[in-house]
Amino acid sequence: MTYLFIILYTITLIYFALSERVKKFVWLLSIQGFILFGIAFFSLHKIKIFDFIFILAETILVKSLIVPWFLNKVRKHNHLKRVQETSVPVSYSLIIVVMILLFSFLFNNFLNSNYIHTKYFTVSFASILFGIYFIIIHKNIFSHVVGYLIIENGTFLLSLAVGSVMPMMVNLAILLDILMGVLVLGVFINRIGDAFESTKIDKLSKLKD
Amino acid sequence: MFLIFIIISIIISLSIYLIKNNFYTIIVRNLFLLLLFSIIGYAYLHFEETNSWYFKFDSLGILLSFILGILSIATFYHSVLYLKRHKCSARHKAGYYSSLIMLITAMLSAYFSENIAVLWVSIETTTLFVSILIFHERTKEALEAAWKYLFVSSVGVALAFIGILFLCITASSNGITDLSLNHLLSITQSMNPLCLKLAFLLVLTGFSAKMGLFPLHTVAIDAHTVAPPPISAFISTTLMNVGFLGIFRIFTIIAKTDALHWAQNVLLIAGVISVFLSAIQLLKIKHYKRMFAFSSLEHMGIVAIGLGIGGIGYYAAILHLVFHSFAKAGLFYQIGQVYQFFKSYWIKDAAGYFKKAPIGGLSIILGMVTILAIPPSGLFVSEFLIFKAMFIHKYYYIAIFVLILLTIIIYSFSKNIFHLLYGKTNNVVQQESIKINPYEPISQFILFGLVIYLGINPPVFFTDLINAAIAILN
Repeated sequence: MTYLFIILYTITLIYFALSERVKKFVWLLSIQGFILFGIAFFSLHKIKIFDFIFILAETILVKSLIVPWFLNKVRKHNHLKRVQETSVPVSYSLIIVVMILLFSFLFNNFLNSNYIHTKYFTVSFASILFGIYFIIIHKNIFSHVVGYLIIENGTFLLSLAVGSVMPMMVNLAILLDILMGVLVLGVFINRIGDAFESTKIDKLSKLKD
Repeated sequence: MFLIFIIISIIISLSIYLIKNNFYTIIVRNLFLLLLFSIIGYAYLHFEETNSWYFKFDSLGILLSFILGILSIATFYHSVLYLKRHKCSARHKAGYYSSLIMLITAMLSAYFSENIAVLWVSIETTTLFVSILIFHERTKEALEAAWKYLFVSSVGVALAFIGILFLCITASSNGITDLSLNHLLSITQSMNPLCLKLAFLLVLTGFSAKMGLFPLHTVAIDAHTVAPPPISAFISTTLMNVGFLGIFRIFTIIAKTDALHWAQNVLLIAGVISVFLSAIQLLKIKHYKRMFAFSSLEHMGIVAIGLGIGGIGYYAAILHLVFHSFAKAGLFYQIGQVYQFFKSYWIKDAAGYFKKAPIGGLSIILGMVTILAIPPSGLFVSEFLIFKAMFIHKYYYIAIFVLILLTIIIYSFSKNIFHLLYGKTNNVVQQESIKINPYEPISQFILFGLVIYLGINPPVFFTDLINAAIAILN
């Protein structure tokens, strides 16, 4: 069952590369949250019950509901419908996603560690690389936050891959930090949208030498 | 005990934000300072003891917390002056102090974190609160700088987290599942070198946004430019020390393995590129605060070079970090007063300061001497030791190259400072709008004096703390 969710997660990455609508980005993030819930549900049942419940709540509440809901509000506030500002054509992005997946697979084989769950590692590493690529090719700061969240989802999967289960307090602090970070980023997007009348990155060029 | 301090600080910060009363803010703000010094004193008395599960009062943490304590007093004092001049509303003031208290708490938490994950959480928390403080003036530039700082730092810190997860891979293969620094240090010999190298590279890249070091130094530069001067002083000193600490903790792990030489080369490259970029940028600089920001890039580069060389370079790197903190903070506080005379930080708009404010001018001269590592500045001692280490370890070409770069930096920096002191400008500011507090430069004189005193006659407890911090590396 875990494999099915991992494949679904990989498909969301490909969809991210194919999509141009901001609304779809938010939907895809929400779907990724549900997939992460599924992965956590089927693979983490051996850990302590409180840690297990916490991680499930984190994925279902924060990653699939609260963050996408908040991003949708930010999207509506800034009247973002379609983002046609990628500097790379969609077909190229598709090829690059495949190359990223291939590279992650090869890197996983190269590391060849008994202590890495290979099934998670490939997709998590691909997600991190794709998140960085997503930020680079988009010129809209809203899309940059989406890219950041793809990296965060990849990091979550990577922590499953290395089997790191941090203490509850630390987990809670990490979650709160990321959630607060996204909320503050969202507030800043709204402010930038109001002040610069655009959320395009080239408008943010006042600070130069 | 430390967890109680964090909880009380959060309560103080929240109460200031919610009550929004000037009198209440003054009382509670001072109470927080008292609390801060109490916990630093407590940490010094409980040296090397673990506290509240995830914290440990180690030598480097105590040393950096001393700097934080001293600069917190100065920052609160200059914040009072800054907020008074800008006629901020009670709501704005409350937001400012509330964020500042949380920033100090997060930085102290980072200094004393014994667990790498807790260190990461603390560093990420500093990002949130410092971005709110950068945005304090609500201008378009402030918005841009705050956004860039928050976004790039968040991505950087996420990269650092990936590095920490690579550390997890190699630690779990040795039976260590938590990320306690003590536990990690006990298994360094059996760690996988590739995982360690990846972890170090990612942590260095990620935390370079905090330390103001190449490659993610640019966000810190923009943040310095627009943040209120007391906050710029913090970003340039205590917050950079947080970034340094994050990198140093991973470096202490790698220092006990065969990958040490590789890590030192990475630090050397990052350090030399930082000094190089700083020298190039300073040649064409047009803004005083940006000039100080690039000067910080240079000094962090020198610190990285010190670590990269090793030997006596370790001691010199930490000494340099301490002296730079005091000297740069003093300059940022003073530039706040300069702004009152010219209403601008642009070099073309601000000149002839010495005539207008002789004491302030004297403070700037002293600041220039200390930051450019001209004797009797303590930074001269630390830089001299770093160059000595370079020659001992036969890094002749790097030493000569860095010396040339430093000469360029001294030329560019002093040229602009002399323009500020004795130059001429067409920018005329009405005398009535200039609001000056005659006691303002006192804190700067104390800080510059500290740099000189600690360089010439360092107290035993001070050198003991540095030696204890680097003992793990030797």
